[in-house]
Amino acid sequence: MSSNPYHDKRCQWLMYLVFFAGVGLIPVFIDDAFLLNQFALYGVFGLLAVSISLCWGAGGILNLGQGLMFGLSAYGMAMTMQMQSQDPINNPIPPFMLNNGLDHLPWFWSLFSSTGGGIFLTLAVPTLFCLLFGGLMFSARVSGPFFAIISLALLSAVGTLVLDIQPYTNGANGISPPMPLQIFGAPLDPYSTSMFWVVFVCLCGLTVLAKLITQSKFGQIVHALKNDPERVRFLGYNVALYETLIYTLSGFIAAVAGCCFTLIVQYVSPAQFDVAFSITMVIWAGIGGRLSLLGSIIGALLIQGGQSYLGDSFLNSWMLILGLFFIVVVRFLPRGLAGLIESVLGRLRTPEPAAHEASAALTKSGS
Amino acid sequence: MAGVLEIRDLHKRFDTHHVINGFSLDVAEQTLSCLVGPNGAGKTTLMDLITGRLKPTSGSVRFHGDELTGLSENDIARRGLGRKFQIPAVFKDLSVRDNLTVAYSRHVNPFINMIRFSDPAMNRRLEEVCTLVGLHNRLRVEAGLLSHGETQWLEIGMVLMQEPRLLLLDEPIAGMTEGEIEKTAHLLRKIRRTATLIVVEHDMGFVREIADVVTVMHMGTLLAQGRIDEIEANPKVRDVYLGTEEESA
Repeated sequence: MSSNPYHDKRCQWLMYLVFFAGVGLIPVFIDDAFLLNQFALYGVFGLLAVSISLCWGAGGILNLGQGLMFGLSAYGMAMTMQMQSQDPINNPIPPFMLNNGLDHLPWFWSLFSSTGGGIFLTLAVPTLFCLLFGGLMFSARVSGPFFAIISLALLSAVGTLVLDIQPYTNGANGISPPMPLQIFGAPLDPYSTSMFWVVFVCLCGLTVLAKLITQSKFGQIVHALKNDPERVRFLGYNVALYETLIYTLSGFIAAVAGCCFTLIVQYVSPAQFDVAFSITMVIWAGIGGRLSLLGSIIGALLIQGGQSYLGDSFLNSWMLILGLFFIVVVRFLPRGLAGLIESVLGRLRTPEPAAHEASAALTKSGS
Repeated sequence: MAGVLEIRDLHKRFDTHHVINGFSLDVAEQTLSCLVGPNGAGKTTLMDLITGRLKPTSGSVRFHGDELTGLSENDIARRGLGRKFQIPAVFKDLSVRDNLTVAYSRHVNPFINMIRFSDPAMNRRLEEVCTLVGLHNRLRVEAGLLSHGETQWLEIGMVLMQEPRLLLLDEPIAGMTEGEIEKTAHLLRKIRRTATLIVVEHDMGFVREIADVVTVMHMGTLLAQGRIDEIEANPKVRDVYLGTEEESA
């Protein structure tokens, strides 16, 4: 069992190196602006997959409402970008507000007038929300399907609210800032190599951070509490605090994804709060292998890639195909594609575990 | 003798059912007390009340003079109470080694644990505990694959990793073979040199072998307490507990 290279930390880091080196080479070979923009968008999906894998795979917290953190930060970034194109004196109010009969800038919009403050709020609001909501839920020992359902309901409620308060959010039309984000005096063009690198650095950095955390003592404790939270409590750990932190960390990664999303597509709408999208994230991790961060990223790339290239020819039946695929994976590969690789690598090394068990049996009879 | 644990007039009621009914107990430092009693006497409920899993209806539990009632499970564990469950509770898909490292809970701050990748003090403790419970050559095995006896030892090992001052062991030899029971008795006597133990046990032969003090519970109250020969000679005890066992044997 332990001789399986899948469990070898050096092999795991080597795979990360290979993967990210491969992804990092994309701009060297591709200079098509549209494709680079697409790849950057795929990086956003990768980030969301990492966030689900951390929460569900490592922490055992099934979160069907990750779109909430993603959507909140996507809106935050859109507000920041929109405010950049407003003139504080001559033209302080975004046009859609005027169309909706609003004659003053709402207070929470004015907080996004400065770019730095806007980006800070964009990341801080979803993260703080996770901290509060998670703290409330986990200290009441809400877990498993109950937590999943509450997270789903909350997402749905916020999505409806955003749709409903049209003067403030432009309702179903969403917000489409007229210009890319101006940062350090220059625009961050969504079709540029720099945009790709921004997403790449976020994805690579946060995946490595998540990987390190799962390998730390914290990660071990979180893994243990996925097995048996009660036992962990009796060992002296504050289980609710650990659960809240892993959930918050996962929410923060989703928030970073939301920021990047708006930078790339320059548009945000209530579709980002769509329940189906949040469930799709869970399916990425389920198919790729929720226990593996890299597996989940690859799951996201495969499914979204499949949707882009096959979805066009199947159109309405795509969700059906995806659902069927998910059922097959859950039934036959409960640990996803990463689990398949794990068992294949394990089977290549059958002689060693057998020898190990034999020696264990010997020592046992000797004792 | 200094009192490690003082339980005073403890009551626990579930609706109309009075499970613990005015129970009091003193446990002295570095002793091994066995808690015996027929099924339904309230032994496991008492463990739950001491470790904070249940809140008592009334009464007090003091550990080294500090009141424990009202504290959370993790706070009580942090004060030096380690508990082994009746049904062995180990983390099945973690390796034996990881089970033991997670149980080393001297540092509970999650932020510091995020950047903790190795811990020399923990490795020393791991070494000591492994020697004590004898799982050295099983460290890399998944805990779910251990035999029943080994699982019991692993859980005792996990409790020891916590470096507790008081160990509460609920039926540590359930399902063990004769040889394993012998080894466990030996292990418990070794632990007793540095810590205090309360062992819930049904097997009177095992109790006779290890106990300094025997406490008999019946219907949620303390029926008798004393050395094993005193207990076995006590007619009340024979009546409610030992009597029935002799009949069934």
